[in-house]
Amino acid sequence: MGRYLLRRLNLFLATSLVLIAVLFITTGYFPVDKQYALTGIESPTLQQQALSRDEFKLDSNGFNQFLAYTEQRLSGNLGLSVTSQKPVIDELTQVLPASFELAIVAGLLAILLGVPLGVLASLSKNKITQHSIMAITLTGYSIPVFWLGLTLSLWFGVELGWLPISGRINLLYEIEPITGFMLIDTLLSDSIYRISAFLDALQHIVLPAITLAVLPFTVVVRITRAAMLHIMNEPYIRAAEARGLHTGTIVLRHALPNALIPVLKNMGLMLGTFASYAMIVEVIFSWPGVGSWLVSGIYQRDYTVIQGGVLGVALIIIFFSILIEVLHNAINPISRKEIYAAN
Amino acid sequence: MKQQLKRIGLVTCLSAINMLLVACGPQKIPTGLVYCSEGNPESFNPQTVTSGTTIDATSQQLYDTLVDYDPVTSSIVPALATSWYSSDDGLSYRFKLRSGVQFHQTNYFTPTRHLNADDILFSFNRIIDSKNPYHEVAANGYPFFQSIGLSQTISNIEKVSDNEVIFHLRHSDASFLSNLATGFSIILSKEYADNLLADDKAEDLDRYPIGTGPFKLTKYVKNEYIRYHRNEQFWRKLPEFEHLVFDITPRSTARLTKLITGDCNVSALPKAGELPVIKQHPHLELDTQLGFNVAFWAFNTQKEPFNDVRVRQALAYAVDSQNILRAVYQETAIEATGMLPPQSWAYSYNKSRYDYNPQKAKALLKQAGIDKLNIDVWAMPVARIYNPNALKTAELIQADLANIGVTVNIVTYDWSVFNQKLSRRDYDSVLIGWNADNSDPDNFFSPMLSCDAQRSSSNRAQWCNAKMDGILAKAKATTNTAERKALYQQAEKLFREQLPMLPFAHATQLTIKQRNIKQTQLTPFGGISFENTMKIVPEDKH
Repeated sequence: MGRYLLRRLNLFLATSLVLIAVLFITTGYFPVDKQYALTGIESPTLQQQALSRDEFKLDSNGFNQFLAYTEQRLSGNLGLSVTSQKPVIDELTQVLPASFELAIVAGLLAILLGVPLGVLASLSKNKITQHSIMAITLTGYSIPVFWLGLTLSLWFGVELGWLPISGRINLLYEIEPITGFMLIDTLLSDSIYRISAFLDALQHIVLPAITLAVLPFTVVVRITRAAMLHIMNEPYIRAAEARGLHTGTIVLRHALPNALIPVLKNMGLMLGTFASYAMIVEVIFSWPGVGSWLVSGIYQRDYTVIQGGVLGVALIIIFFSILIEVLHNAINPISRKEIYAAN
Repeated sequence: MKQQLKRIGLVTCLSAINMLLVACGPQKIPTGLVYCSEGNPESFNPQTVTSGTTIDATSQQLYDTLVDYDPVTSSIVPALATSWYSSDDGLSYRFKLRSGVQFHQTNYFTPTRHLNADDILFSFNRIIDSKNPYHEVAANGYPFFQSIGLSQTISNIEKVSDNEVIFHLRHSDASFLSNLATGFSIILSKEYADNLLADDKAEDLDRYPIGTGPFKLTKYVKNEYIRYHRNEQFWRKLPEFEHLVFDITPRSTARLTKLITGDCNVSALPKAGELPVIKQHPHLELDTQLGFNVAFWAFNTQKEPFNDVRVRQALAYAVDSQNILRAVYQETAIEATGMLPPQSWAYSYNKSRYDYNPQKAKALLKQAGIDKLNIDVWAMPVARIYNPNALKTAELIQADLANIGVTVNIVTYDWSVFNQKLSRRDYDSVLIGWNADNSDPDNFFSPMLSCDAQRSSSNRAQWCNAKMDGILAKAKATTNTAERKALYQQAEKLFREQLPMLPFAHATQLTIKQRNIKQTQLTPFGGISFENTMKIVPEDKH
């Protein structure tokens, strides 16, 4: 297991290094002065110029520059945002929690609704139920997320006026960020409008979370169903049935834990798609997360924000993919055996 | 199993219903006003910009000027100056300052004294005196003041006493007071500036603003919002709202939906195509105000082939401006045949010289010796008062020019980048416009068509014409209205002949708001003001 973890860590470092190398090379191709693209300082003083030349070793050869670039970026020096002239790292840490909040709520929705529905679909002997569940998930799987987002906001926001369709909260509530998660911050704040602010934040997250949850939800349903169908035919389930155990116990205690292993694996594989979907959703619902920040950075030709955003998002995705893989292997008895066999 | 299915269905339904109940339940909300604005301000000091977005976010909310312009009576009224006298030769203006005016107290600055003459001197010397330590702090200079040549006009500003100053001018200028009343001529705190200088943080002056206006800045988050709090020491009547928030929403449809769902109370710059939607929502209404503006297509006259007047005229003949008025403005604008809008006192009706005539356009191009032409048209990415949809305008122009064999390439960037790139002056042509800052007709000429304006890059056509400058100088030197009107008509004539830019519309200024919001001051000049805005108490909202 130790060697396996070491190998995964190695994979994480190598992938990150490749990513940084790609960013480093593309930075050289931005149609502006290299120093400006690296630091983002609009009108640097001579002192600042000398400092950044030194920091990024601009007078040295390409390899040393790359090392200096890696060192600066990994130590958190992402430069100043070209448009706001504020440190990119501050802006990034400010927008990240919003994205996490949306992703967590959407992920929870997908799992809490998807797993039971997948189990139902696999157990139901009724063809109509089976087919309708599969039809719904297939439809959900093939709907483009931008269309879904726009349709939902048109219906529930504009036509019916039930739910707000942009932002995280009505801006009149002045909520100081503590955790960065609006749903938690509203409850933690000492404002007299605490509860109504929380409800307002809750309403704001409904539509974006549903939109984002649809894709993982359908995947979870389909994978759970397939895994359950497979597992319910395993001899050990039949043995449990023969022992006269209740169906509920069999499903919850014996079948489901095993069925969830492929679900976990697929969630790891889906992470990249999920992140890009999250960006689209953020743009559609003006959700002030890392996605809409990055997209507006691209529109504003904010070179430091583009680099910082891509670096941050990609590192997070790499990290979580590997984490999920490790978890998957730690939980899954079969692959655990394989690891030992490989060693 | 079926039982279970039913149960789950029930739970889903219940939670959905629960959500809806929450959505409809009564809610407490702090008193305040949310304005959906169209973009990020470039700075928090209007002295350093000309963009309307920044003016909206700063001038009327954070700052005050020496004198104000009253759109109802069309006269200059007291603001920070209680009274003023000009000498008979028009060469000096003496201002008496209001006493007891306090600057904002915020978490980054606490004033120890009231407004006095030093603040006035500092605010203007920063612009006109290149030796002032703050002069160079503004990276892009002071475009409005450079375009009107303020540093050539003012010889010096004299402090008579703590509450009296005299502006000494080099030559008399009929538009001087009007220019002081614009949203650019705001008064800064010298004490704050000195503190910053001592801390070596001079750039903060334009980033963390201190003024005397009705609101003070509490927080700005780029791309998201600007949060203001009422200035409790404001010298006029306190605004009704304790909080004012600018919700930065660049997409026009998003602004409209935010207004419909109640996330905003007032929303800026709707597209003409969205106006019918407002009628479907009884709680919304449209505010209109005849605009003091002009939308135009400026040619870079420093560049081939636009330095040839025949090419410019040919392009003008090739564009069907009636079609633009129909498709882009949907009849909310009137055709522009010159720079001045009909509301201006110096306006007089002129028949359009450049009616749609592709044949003539082709002939003119042939005369100029051009048979194949490929040009860039830069179109603003955001809606402005004078042009709600520049991209669509560009597309219409593209189609029109294709008829005479000219290929158009449309270029656009995000607003702040667009402005920066424009100041590099390497574009072919640009679709932009001008919203007046005061009622003086000079405001439609000097800031855009003078040689001074060319140097400060607010002259989008890069057009410097000695004859035009002569006419404008003459018109400024006299106070005789009839004489000035004749001179401005002369300027219009020269402009139409030379056509450095093609004006096509004077737009109506539009704002949508909730019906219970009253008295948002939509002035034809400068930015929007929320100082006197009120919310009519809703008769039980739900």
